[in-house]
Amino acid sequence: MRFLIAVAALLALLPFGLPPYAMTLLTEALILGLFAMSLDLMVGYARLISFGHAAAYGFGAYASGNFLLHTSMPLPCAVLLAGLLGGLVAIGVGWVCTQATGVSFSMLTLAYAQLLYAVAFKWTPVTGASDGLAGIPRNPGPFGVTWWSTKAGFYYLTLACLLGTFVFCRELVRSPFGAVLRGIRENEAKTIALGYNTRRYKIAIVAISFGFAGLAGALYAPFAGFANTELLFWLLSGQVLIMVIVGGAGTLIGPVLGAVFFLYMQQQLSSYTDSWALFFGVIFVLFVLFMPEGIWGLILSRFGKKAA
Amino acid sequence: MTGTSGFSRRTLLGATLASPVVLRHALGDEPIKIGMPCALTGPGGEVGEQMRRGAEFWIKFVNAKGGLLGRPIKLYAQDTGGDPATAVRKAQDVVERDGCRLLFGMTLSSEALAVVPKLAEWNAIFMSSDNGDGRLTGESFVPNFFRANTSGPMGTRAVALYLRQADFKNFYAIGMDYAWGRNSIGVFKDEVKKSGKNFIADVYSPIGTKDFSTYITKIRQSGADACYIVMQGDDNNAFLSQARQYRLGDKVQLLTEIVDLNSIHAVGDAAIGLIGGSRYTFTFPGEANAQFVAAWKKEYGNVPDVFEGEQWQACQVLQAGIEKAGGIDADKLRPALETVEIDSIKGRVTMRACDHQGVQKGFMVKVVQKEGFKEPIPDLIATFPADQVTPACRQMTYDS
Repeated sequence: MRFLIAVAALLALLPFGLPPYAMTLLTEALILGLFAMSLDLMVGYARLISFGHAAAYGFGAYASGNFLLHTSMPLPCAVLLAGLLGGLVAIGVGWVCTQATGVSFSMLTLAYAQLLYAVAFKWTPVTGASDGLAGIPRNPGPFGVTWWSTKAGFYYLTLACLLGTFVFCRELVRSPFGAVLRGIRENEAKTIALGYNTRRYKIAIVAISFGFAGLAGALYAPFAGFANTELLFWLLSGQVLIMVIVGGAGTLIGPVLGAVFFLYMQQQLSSYTDSWALFFGVIFVLFVLFMPEGIWGLILSRFGKKAA
Repeated sequence: MTGTSGFSRRTLLGATLASPVVLRHALGDEPIKIGMPCALTGPGGEVGEQMRRGAEFWIKFVNAKGGLLGRPIKLYAQDTGGDPATAVRKAQDVVERDGCRLLFGMTLSSEALAVVPKLAEWNAIFMSSDNGDGRLTGESFVPNFFRANTSGPMGTRAVALYLRQADFKNFYAIGMDYAWGRNSIGVFKDEVKKSGKNFIADVYSPIGTKDFSTYITKIRQSGADACYIVMQGDDNNAFLSQARQYRLGDKVQLLTEIVDLNSIHAVGDAAIGLIGGSRYTFTFPGEANAQFVAAWKKEYGNVPDVFEGEQWQACQVLQAGIEKAGGIDADKLRPALETVEIDSIKGRVTMRACDHQGVQKGFMVKVVQKEGFKEPIPDLIATFPADQVTPACRQMTYDS
């Protein structure tokens, strides 16, 4: 807890010392971190590998983008509502996808995401098709409250969402609910034998995970001022999975570090070469081979603790 | 910053700090930085490359003469792959990381539409050299956006005015499925209906389409005697070469918004007979164009294509604005650009204050084989005055 407060305080102080460009990158890193953390709930705790997590992210982005463009809803409300909506829709998605297990589950999530991608390409009034939604504003709140429309303000809003999500998820995985999830991860048949309806738990975790991914997407739309079908594409689903694995699955904090690392490497490598993904691929392979516990696992082992 | 030199970083830093201010100025003032996120790869890559070459050519030309306002110009080109989301990110990079307050590029209109809402926050001016979508100077207009090029509606209008004297009765239209394609065909439809002719149908192909056979069959069977094409880059080349294989041109007169050398080069003799608008062609008359073409030939060994010429013109407009404003500060440059009037390679270009559209003439060309040229070339067949092709302020359609 003390550690969490220290990190939160440090992150809260950063806007006072960083140039605008670094602030932009950091805000994006936190949004991606939130996105990766949401996936970790499924991958790290219930061993539900989602290959379609971008669907939730893109859904959130389009939802908040439409709220902000077509209503005068204040920014934080639009973001939260979009996340909530993403979670509700995911109950249905979870119901369908959890009919299958293992690779079939992953394929179903991928199929769902690609379906949404195809719909987004044709549903011009809502998604702007291939042109996307441009000029997404950061709507003010009542009584002229606009603090979130500045660079630093938006960063704080993102930080608050990330920390709130972290605290919620940490309590969730420590709760009896979380214990059942780990049971599913380790031995689903045994968990069923213990009398748990594991399918319900799986649907619940898919909904929660997609909801938070939706929240991240909902933040991204007003952050970039833009949303298009790229946010729903399988490439992003793959990238976020890499962030989780590189950061350390099943740790919640690890994936956030994975996202920061991914974005940083992308920025650095892409300034040298257009085929940066190739080099990142090598890094990814090295991580999987030599550091399966990820960045966070490495940090914990340096300080003498065992990765969770 | 990967090069090695005999100096260590510290001695270099020390030397710079110790040198008198006068000396540092003599070495060159703070450069004028221009960011250029554009599609250098992907279906629009050829167009983006042309834009970049046009800008580089101008910068070389200006820097050789001692720079602009005595300051050298530096270009920060970035590849967007033609994706609007990437365009926003790369534009943000060149503005916040590299400190650019002037922007070129944004090859696709969808990229420009995504970027322009950010210009006020960045306090940056974006000078478009190729964006077609009429909304950029219409409903999506922002004060820091300027368009030096012929817009999609303007190019379409030139074609429509030409068609008023032609015999074609039934029209079909095919465009790339994004902002520019849909916008231009919308204007074309409006023009056809106004002239009392028959518009059969329009169809849109996703960006990056390689196989056009189903589209071509549709056009053949539609009973159209002319088909209006709004395409560029790889898609345009693929469509024209497949149209030739299916002998579409025997049945239907192909009309295009932009005739360019790149597609003529790609499809060869199949391009002969193609009629279309032209934003720029090296065969345009006038001394200014002749000089530009000669200088270009000397540098690159071939003649400039559409977007190289358009980029050059955009550079001229920006240069005139900067010289007038005496700097690049957006608040001074904006009013200066609003009154810029230059004689360009296409003739007179007047920047309009009300929507920041460069008012200029409209051109129609026909692709013909001419003696002295290895490949077919676009030959000027009609010119329309600027007031006939430029729409009313912030409008995309025409009243008469």
